[in-house]
Amino acid sequence: MSGEKQAALVVENVSKRFGDAEESVLACDRVSFEVKPGEFVAVIGPSGCGKSTLFNIIGGLLGDYEGAVRVGDVRIDGPHPSIGMVFQEESTFPWRNVIDNVAFPLELRGVDKLQREEKARHFIDLVGLDGFEKRYPSQLSGGMKQRVSIARTLISQPEILLMDEPFASLDEQTRLLLGDKITQIQQQLKQTTLLITHNLTEAVQLADRIVVMTYRPGCIKRIVNIDLPRPRTSDVVGSDAFGHYVAEIWNDLREEASRGMQDSEAIARADRRRV
Amino acid sequence: MAPTGEMILKASAADMRRGRAFREARIVLAIRLAFICLFFGLWESLSRSGLIFQDVVPSLLNIGQSIIKLLVSAEFWKNLQVTAFETLTALALGALTGVAAGILLGANRFIGDAFEPYVYYLSPTPRIILFPIMIMWFGIGLASKIALGALSAFFSIALSTAAGMRQIDKVLIRVGKSFRATPWQMATKIYLPAMRLPVFNGIRLGFGTSLITVLLAETKLSNQGLGYMVMSIYNRFDMAGLYGLLVIVFAIAGLGNMLIGKLARE
Repeated sequence: MSGEKQAALVVENVSKRFGDAEESVLACDRVSFEVKPGEFVAVIGPSGCGKSTLFNIIGGLLGDYEGAVRVGDVRIDGPHPSIGMVFQEESTFPWRNVIDNVAFPLELRGVDKLQREEKARHFIDLVGLDGFEKRYPSQLSGGMKQRVSIARTLISQPEILLMDEPFASLDEQTRLLLGDKITQIQQQLKQTTLLITHNLTEAVQLADRIVVMTYRPGCIKRIVNIDLPRPRTSDVVGSDAFGHYVAEIWNDLREEASRGMQDSEAIARADRRRV
Repeated sequence: MAPTGEMILKASAADMRRGRAFREARIVLAIRLAFICLFFGLWESLSRSGLIFQDVVPSLLNIGQSIIKLLVSAEFWKNLQVTAFETLTALALGALTGVAAGILLGANRFIGDAFEPYVYYLSPTPRIILFPIMIMWFGIGLASKIALGALSAFFSIALSTAAGMRQIDKVLIRVGKSFRATPWQMATKIYLPAMRLPVFNGIRLGFGTSLITVLLAETKLSNQGLGYMVMSIYNRFDMAGLYGLLVIVFAIAGLGNMLIGKLARE
């Protein structure tokens, strides 16, 4: 990757505090990193490290924060057309069939029906759901619904694809296979991607670089380059290098995750005393 | 590709399920028909037994004749038109104000907390006692019935719209925002479709209550409409005609409910 290329997304000293003057939690603490064009970056951290906060800030759904998230010269303080979000929760519209779900962003822009359906078909093919155009979400599996959401975001052709644990609710095997699909799509479209996740194997399988976050307040612990060969498939999980990376990152994460666990146990204990 | 054993198994399982569903549907139909026959049989034997004054329980034949007589009379159609007009206008007004009020109650927590108890506790009260007031305000013509009908439809529609508003999956709203939908697009492409089931359900309930209220009001003070017609037939002591008209009114109400239900499902 050439270092001179201007970054597609710059996160610069981003901090976010929730709560009021008396009682507040620092969710993110001066987080800085960059995503270059065509790069796949994963942000990994334990629960409570402010990953979702970061996702919402970058996606423009949380306008009030310190520091700057920049796309080009624009500081993000609302949803930006260059950023396409895929949510962790099941987010397809249950009253729309697959093709109308995927065509939704184009419908908002006033693209005429024929044109947007043609384009939707292309992206439905891309995520491997051809033949399901007329199905409704209730007739699809969890993995298929998430692919509909991904196609719906890709159709708006965002410069940056921003995903928040899109496979969190899926089983491990489906997750690996969908990871292949994501790698394939990302290479085909040269899609700049930022993935928020707590899943180690997922992060190493997919990313060029991994940003490791600490437990509360979430700041960057380390940024790891993943020099696994491309094109990559899920076979990579068997390789020694893969194991190395997972072990290395887990080494960083373990301390943070156990701090998080102790915290939540302390809260649970305090709750029990109160009862 | 040749069908695998598993595919055949799956197919036959589906066939079996379909077969069972079909058989069950037939049993249900048989039970319904048996019930209707039993009811008619009892009615007819009661009518012929002479135990009760013939006019109170007229024979099915007489009722059937009176239904036909009603259906060909101009008077029935004119009254039906009046009642249908009153009910549908009342429903439209109730739906418009009810959906608007429901959105307000559902969208703003403070407004909801402040006003919803009123709507909730007033909703099951009989609106007909307000009829005298409606007559004072709107006169004894159609307007007072429409106003009363609208008032009774309003409550169920407002309550179910408010509930529907709160049940919207928050992530869908975030999706809309992330695609930078305008407020109008948010309303028409996300909020309204996401709320369509509870809203239509409220409208279906509202239809029922406004029809009841309109008919009731017509029986009280009016010179047209089906409610008025029921009372005038009753005053003539034409029992067969009364039963005939009641059968028709029930059929219309049921049909209306079914129609709105179908619309909602689509």
